[in-house]
Amino acid sequence: MTTLHIVRKSAFSSNDLAQCLALATKADTIVLLDDACYNVNHPLIAKTLNEQPELAINIMQTHAQARAVNIMNPIKAIVMEDLIKLTFTHKQVITWQ
Amino acid sequence: MSAFTQQETSAVAESTETINTTKALALINSQAPFACSDGKDSLDIALIFASFEQGVSLFFQGDGVYQLIDKQNGSLISVKDYLKTFAAFEFYDIEDIYICQQSLAERKLASSFHIDNVQILTVKDFAVQLVQHKHILRF
Repeated sequence: MTTLHIVRKSAFSSNDLAQCLALATKADTIVLLDDACYNVNHPLIAKTLNEQPELAINIMQTHAQARAVNIMNPIKAIVMEDLIKLTFTHKQVITWQ
Repeated sequence: MSAFTQQETSAVAESTETINTTKALALINSQAPFACSDGKDSLDIALIFASFEQGVSLFFQGDGVYQLIDKQNGSLISVKDYLKTFAAFEFYDIEDIYICQQSLAERKLASSFHIDNVQILTVKDFAVQLVQHKHILRF
């Protein structure tokens, strides 16, 4: 049973990412949208990539580019169409907002 | 945001006693640019005050520092890019622009900004500058 976690806020000013990562399991997928794009440089993401390498972390390409955020492996850039597909391939969707 | 240490707090108190509050208005920007309109509202107030030759200083702290980062492009997400108006600060004689060094470091941001003449200050110096203003608004 997998969950799609859509994170929308900066972890530097909100607790959403921490709460999300506390619940995420390795089969889940995380998508960073809007101000959550800034989270690629947050220590929580680095920690998660290190401790749970199986957990897929995606980022909305245009949202990151608009914010001058560099996307680095293993975080995968996706487009809106990919996000819609993800909502069908996961059992639940949680939007962290 | 992190609390000031006792030493920093006393430094601020000291400066309050010795320095007159000579400048009219300080605007603290604490939000990232695109998800909410706080940055735009703050900019509008800065330009209005400056038009009436009231001294305005801008402070960027926390996620507010993202407003100054170079190579942003709001048009990719259909946001009207008010950040380009920052280039008009010089014309409006808005010269005191301060950035919190700790906020930059926490976000692993390089000091490449889309406007010139900005000053990066330690938390302590940031607070010292702030208390020299008669009024402070935070967005």
